[in-house]
Amino acid sequence: MAVLVKLDDMLHARRMTLSELAERVDITLANLSILKTGKARAIRFSTLDAICTVLACQPGDLLAHDPAARQEEEE
Amino acid sequence: MSVRPNLLSTTRLALRVLIALNIPFAIGVAGLFVVSLEAPIWLGKALVARADAAPSLMTGMRLVMLIGLAGVPLAYLFLTRLLAMVDSVRDGDPFIAENARRLQMIAWTMLGIQGLNLAEGAVCALFPLDLDWSPSVDGWLAVLLLFVLARVFDIGIRMRADLDGTV
Repeated sequence: MAVLVKLDDMLHARRMTLSELAERVDITLANLSILKTGKARAIRFSTLDAICTVLACQPGDLLAHDPAARQEEEE
Repeated sequence: MSVRPNLLSTTRLALRVLIALNIPFAIGVAGLFVVSLEAPIWLGKALVARADAAPSLMTGMRLVMLIGLAGVPLAYLFLTRLLAMVDSVRDGDPFIAENARRLQMIAWTMLGIQGLNLAEGAVCALFPLDLDWSPSVDGWLAVLLLFVLARVFDIGIRMRADLDGTV
């Protein structure tokens, strides 16, 4: 998929672990892990809102669009 | 989701009995049809208490028997698909694409059964049979309902697939 999730980078910048984030946004670690590894097919606005609130960032800081990623997947 | 196990097991048992009864029914009707060809006088006496049953009456009875035989595979398809759906409820995940296809198949078989019912009505009208047949819209409404439900099921399954992987 051409949409990249940069949750790992944001967590690193905020010195926060995935478990901590899971606790603070009240989303299961398994679901956050799916999001972090780019395996999620969709993200709810409520999830985005909760993560952005806790990490004090914008949705654009978490997501990026890179058409080259899709081409790499297809190859 | 609470599934009433008693209702499910009773339904499964009833469906299994009906599937099993479908076979002797088919054999019985097929046997009757053969007897109507080989020994029509005896059959006329046995069924309508008249040895001189009119040939048209016998022809009408044979046609009804053929309609009954045509209903056997339809009933088999209907019952086995319904049993498979009930089994999927018991297994805990009925909202699968296979069940949408099964429901659509059930709708088609129901349509076929309704067609056979009409054919029976036509035979009753054309031949001097006293089968107490009367037209009814219930079955046709059930056909429509089944087709609509199959579509609803299909859309529901697609919506669930969309939700899978949503965080």
